[in-house]
Amino acid sequence: MRTPAIAAITVAAALAITGCGRPAENPSAAPQTAATVAGGPATGELTIWAMGAEGQKLPDLLKDFEAANPGVKVTVTAIPWGAAHDKFTTAITAQKTPDMAMIGTTWMGEFAGLGALDPTPASIDKGVFFPGAWGTTEVGGTSYGIPWYVETRLVYYRTDLAKKAGITTPPTDWDGLKAMAKAMQDKAGSKWGINLQPGGTGSWQTVMPFAWSNGAQLNNGDAWTFDTPQMSEAVKYYQSFFTDGLTNKTPAQGATQEPTFVDGSEPMFISGPWMMSAVEKVGGKGFADKYSVFPMPVKQKSASFVGGSNFGVFKTTKNRDAAWKLVQWLAKPEVQVKWYQMSTDLPSVTSAWQDPALTADTKLATFGKQLETAVAPPSFATWEQVAARFDAEIEKVAKTGADVDASLKSVQAEAQSIGTGG
Amino acid sequence: MSASTIAVPPRMEAAPSPVAPARPGRGRPGEGRAAWILAIPFTLLFLAFTVWPVAQSLFMSFTDTKQKDLRTPFSVNFIGLGNYVRALSDPVFQRAAANTAYFVVVGVPLTLAVALLAAVALDKGITRFRAVFRLGFYTPVITSIVAVAVVWRFILQPDAGLLNTVLSWFGIQGPNWLGDVQWSMPSLILMAIWRNFGTGMIIFLAGLQAVPYSLQEAAAIDGANTWQRFWHITFPLLRPTLLFVSVTTAIGYLQFFEEPFVMTQGGPLNSTISMSMYTYNQFGYGNYGVATAMSYLIFVVIAVITAIQFRVLREKA
Repeated sequence: MRTPAIAAITVAAALAITGCGRPAENPSAAPQTAATVAGGPATGELTIWAMGAEGQKLPDLLKDFEAANPGVKVTVTAIPWGAAHDKFTTAITAQKTPDMAMIGTTWMGEFAGLGALDPTPASIDKGVFFPGAWGTTEVGGTSYGIPWYVETRLVYYRTDLAKKAGITTPPTDWDGLKAMAKAMQDKAGSKWGINLQPGGTGSWQTVMPFAWSNGAQLNNGDAWTFDTPQMSEAVKYYQSFFTDGLTNKTPAQGATQEPTFVDGSEPMFISGPWMMSAVEKVGGKGFADKYSVFPMPVKQKSASFVGGSNFGVFKTTKNRDAAWKLVQWLAKPEVQVKWYQMSTDLPSVTSAWQDPALTADTKLATFGKQLETAVAPPSFATWEQVAARFDAEIEKVAKTGADVDASLKSVQAEAQSIGTGG
Repeated sequence: MSASTIAVPPRMEAAPSPVAPARPGRGRPGEGRAAWILAIPFTLLFLAFTVWPVAQSLFMSFTDTKQKDLRTPFSVNFIGLGNYVRALSDPVFQRAAANTAYFVVVGVPLTLAVALLAAVALDKGITRFRAVFRLGFYTPVITSIVAVAVVWRFILQPDAGLLNTVLSWFGIQGPNWLGDVQWSMPSLILMAIWRNFGTGMIIFLAGLQAVPYSLQEAAAIDGANTWQRFWHITFPLLRPTLLFVSVTTAIGYLQFFEEPFVMTQGGPLNSTISMSMYTYNQFGYGNYGVATAMSYLIFVVIAVITAIQFRVLREKA
């Protein structure tokens, strides 16, 4: 094995000397403008990648598009979520991308940074979408694609146990939420007051709504801002649920919220719209009347996390006009409502929420209300890495009672050294 | 016969090493070319799929390569040992290295001990249903880790798990195995032993069956008891087998990844994150430079530890 090693070192040294080095200019620095899209019906062939259940159901939705545009043929490839990110980056590197794709909101910074996405043409009106959701498409001042569907987080609570605890109207502010958790424990006899994620992957999605509600921000331009007083106050508030014994610090590995919510030992939790069908499935018949949801409590304002998926067009597409026409079609309110009925994915277009299909359910309508103020993290390519560090510090704060300011300081230092991926 | 013996000595003087190839031009003229032509397919494949990836990853570990550089892999900056310094000074990587050391130092001897015990039991003790036991002990090795993880999560559940239920019969309040910083790593070690001792057992069993019966018999006649026979005859003869099993187990354990990946995601509080898993995370974040540097650090550690094992366990002359 000595020869390959020597060869490797020689090659590496030669490359280092003959040098490579980065080109000086940064092509993605300036905001980009998009060419206009031609009128008339869409024609030609389009290939689409979509993940998970959406990938399975999208072809049925697109039959309508094909019927309205007889000259177009759409092929959807369903990709499992676990393999999707690698598949996309490989395809982008090899310039073998599909014409368009469903894109996870946290991937936007990375893919746009790779120069893979086509900027959204001006013919698409950003005003029709929820502003927080539209924010997920913007990278460095340029929008790439549209928010296709959204989700946000609310506080779930057991109405029957709340009544027992003497609470008939859900709280609206931070103190009220904590008092309610305490009452659930003291008066309603629940083991815990509320279920909150004690750190670990994705726990920032529950912490940041409190921080945003307190006026904190994750970034100011290209600088991270984890060490602000507003952030500190929010994380201390989050920590107090654990130190006051209102929240389980050590839930079982891989445990989900449904069973403990249904048996009443954790009568509150914060999560997204998919939990409605999940708890009703575990709770059985009639459980839908035993719980409800209320918006995230207010400090300065009510804020939540907005997630979901975007739809974008790749620069390598040979059929750009038809691709953007399809995107525009997906953003039509009636198509958004139809898609909700097919997939239960919530519409990203505000006017779609006027449809009776969505207004009929009061719980669902609360999600719609929260979406108006929901916030997304910045579309930096390094966000996932920074978020993992933030999650690790939240775990320390929640489980070991670590000093919040020291933890945030260390997140800030690590985040700054990781950078924003520019 | 005589002709060839006369021809050999001068060549031996010219090239003292018996394996050194004949210099080109000395053999028949077509021979060298034919050899090269026959070797070309392998050489090309070897260069393209072994040397090149190794060279490129080594190169990458000395540069600031990120995911977005994949399309232009050479327009990156050369930063010397920067990635290695960054990896070694990263507190999480240090924690991962300590966790990996814990896992290897505790896990490898225990796995070997359990494997040897099972092999001896199958060799001597268990005579009925031997094939059933052998299959049973080996089954975890060939079972998918995903299925294993689901079952073990149930076993290790804090409230209603099998392990804590059994412990409660004896009045012991079992800990939250995977959720407790002290117990998470022992839980994973336990699971790894269960999952891996079957391989060692099968190889030990083959080694045990190769110990000549005549030696045992002679020792028994000389009055050696069972333990003395095992310790002075069987065990020394098992040395090569022991070396093989300990080297392969240690290499596997140094790269341990699946257990924390499926069971704990490295938590709680980084108490089970391993070097391989942290490296995997860095690849996931697109930090290819740092991640390849970490991979090479793991490679060096494996090489050093394997060399030590060979030195300690090699056959004494």
